[in-house]
Amino acid sequence: MSREREAEELDSLVLATIEGWHRHGRALTEAEFNDLAIALFTHQLRYDPAYAAYCAGYGISLNALPPHWSAIPPLPARAFKEAAIAAFPVGSAELVFESSGTTLGAPSRHYLENRRLYDASLLAGFERAILRDGARLRYLLLVPNPAQRPHSSLGYMMGRVASQFGDGETGWYLDEDRLLVDAFTADARDACERAQPLCIATTAFSLLHVLEVFEERDIHLTLPAGSRIMETGGFKGRERVVAREELYARAIRAFGIASEQIVAEYGMSELCSQYYDLPGSERSFAGAMHRVKVAPPWLRTRILDERERDCAPGTIGALAHIDLANRSSCLAVLTEDLGAAVDDGILLFGREQGASLRGCSLDAEDLRRS
Amino acid sequence: MTALSAIPVRTIAAAIGDAALRWSDADFPPRVRATNDIVERTGYSIPAVDFALDALFGELRTDALLETIARELGDPAALDGATARIRPLGRIAILSSRTTIGVAIPAMCFALCAKNDVVVKDREDRLVAAFSESLAQEHEAFARALRVAHWDGRHGSSRLQGARLIVVFGSDETIASVARERAADARTIGFGSRTSIGFLDASAQNAPAELTAALEGAARDASLYEGEGCMSLHALFFERGACHPSVLAERFSAAMESATNEFPVGERSASSRAAMLQQRNLAAFRAAAGRGAAYCDERLHFLVLLDPPAQEPPIFLPRTVALIPVDSSEEIVAYVERHALPIESLGVTGTPRSYTEIASRIGAARIASLGEMQRPPIQAHHGGRPRIAEYVRFLDIDGERE
Repeated sequence: MSREREAEELDSLVLATIEGWHRHGRALTEAEFNDLAIALFTHQLRYDPAYAAYCAGYGISLNALPPHWSAIPPLPARAFKEAAIAAFPVGSAELVFESSGTTLGAPSRHYLENRRLYDASLLAGFERAILRDGARLRYLLLVPNPAQRPHSSLGYMMGRVASQFGDGETGWYLDEDRLLVDAFTADARDACERAQPLCIATTAFSLLHVLEVFEERDIHLTLPAGSRIMETGGFKGRERVVAREELYARAIRAFGIASEQIVAEYGMSELCSQYYDLPGSERSFAGAMHRVKVAPPWLRTRILDERERDCAPGTIGALAHIDLANRSSCLAVLTEDLGAAVDDGILLFGREQGASLRGCSLDAEDLRRS
Repeated sequence: MTALSAIPVRTIAAAIGDAALRWSDADFPPRVRATNDIVERTGYSIPAVDFALDALFGELRTDALLETIARELGDPAALDGATARIRPLGRIAILSSRTTIGVAIPAMCFALCAKNDVVVKDREDRLVAAFSESLAQEHEAFARALRVAHWDGRHGSSRLQGARLIVVFGSDETIASVARERAADARTIGFGSRTSIGFLDASAQNAPAELTAALEGAARDASLYEGEGCMSLHALFFERGACHPSVLAERFSAAMESATNEFPVGERSASSRAAMLQQRNLAAFRAAAGRGAAYCDERLHFLVLLDPPAQEPPIFLPRTVALIPVDSSEEIVAYVERHALPIESLGVTGTPRSYTEIASRIGAARIASLGEMQRPPIQAHHGGRPRIAEYVRFLDIDGERE
């Protein structure tokens, strides 16, 4: 069978899986997930030489396939910065997503052969997590505009969501690196006057910036009923960081919404699928409140210790994602993000700042306490 | 007048030496308590903390203090008497760092030898406070000269009031912050973030016994304090053409593994463990593509990264060392410049003096033998700065010379 034919058949299987859950709520059995994962992995071994060479170090090859999806070697996410991880000729990629980051001065690049799986996965996940009530919202987007940043996965994702589920009046408020707070405020006020429910999609950093301006100008809105905020992205690489609880409390005050109307998304440019907050799942862990995050059934996550073994439930480790929608790149991705498995999903702890020079040093927090 | 102004400097140095001698005994009860508290604060293993305390208090000998004073100031007696021409500054504040164990203590001792009143910000383990109690037992004047406390910065700025000099062990940001907030008449001396590297030239690799000792020493330098100190080895350069890189890496890896027996691995954050796993697997990915290799034990207690890309800076993770082949020392200079690394120590084998030029070019403050990088002698400068000369002011009399 040709590579193209094999890829098409696998894409169809994954699309059917996504569709089955999206339209009919059908989950995958363990055996179904395993069979599909091994089939995808075999395809990647066959056509992705960089990943295949890496797997050989684990003693895994086309002649020695893993017995179970959990034995698929997870590729370190940083490898996406150093090589084209693709089971197809990357010159024909329909989508290329780049992450920020400065390791070796190169961004991480995720090549996707086509947009079918990515679109299906993101739309299904978003609709099930954010639009369970079927609301048609106006999208005010504090994320990169695909017209300016065509390689931003977040921008692409929200562009697709808005065109699929929006009211046709989508607003983009990130002009390169400049946040258009005045335009955002005017459009939000206009929607409030028209009682048009909103979905504000924002990175945590952009949200903080807007909140600071609102607080400075004493702006308070009461978003129309049914409005919601999707927050993502944390504060990667930023100096100013606030705790999630504080950020949400300030957003609740500024926008006149309830806590459950704010939903956090967790994704990365190396994955085609996303995690979202499970409604009503707030719980205490290690002295802080966290929301459980859940993924669609084609995305599973292992929590690994330093020996690359699965951690016991409730133990913090590194997240290794197995995303069946990553057919054309690499389905198993090892991150430096931290998390812990719980009964109904995972708790996500993000990651600390990269290890830095210490010497005879205090850290930034100590700085303020010195 | 300061609390110590009437006490002869030899008496001060003798009291410090006597207190340090008591602290050199691992069974000295205050040291036992401090050891446990340091282990709890840092997560380091007891042997690592013991090594630190042995190195620290073993160096604080009376003769070594006086020798250092004589080297920097001339006759120590010049500090004594009503007509002394070397005077204390007045009050000195010293802010301890979170990482290096007891880093404030030598600075505090020299500030006291210079007869200053001293305020020290301690860490949660209260090591400095415990040692200051021993000093007060040696001579009651220390109780008046020395104030040691652990405080929260939000309420601590008043403690720095009146200080003529603030000595800060901390990150560059910390130092800048303290400098911004200090009183107009106070000066700041900062000991910022630095790192250390090593070099094995071809001759070192060709002498089997010397190479074994160097690799064992380098492993100790990299493993102590989980690689968190400014004297911790994070990159070991080796000259190409002598030892085969993979053989050298395997031997260094074996030495790193032995070091985990001598200094068991301390507590590690989940974040460090995740980052080490990422780095190991990234190195495995590179190796599969034909570049370099990763060496570690099964539990990832340590990580040796052979031949990482030159554009990648050292990885500042616990017991993680880049093993980098070079054709000449020029490549070391280029590497340090490319990554703007502030270098504390250059670890070498053989005759340290023969590495003066390269050490100077990379801005190192010290050349040390591999295996001795974590034992800086008290008679040497600290971070390239004097031990005591910055804690005094000089009174010159026209027409008279010392």
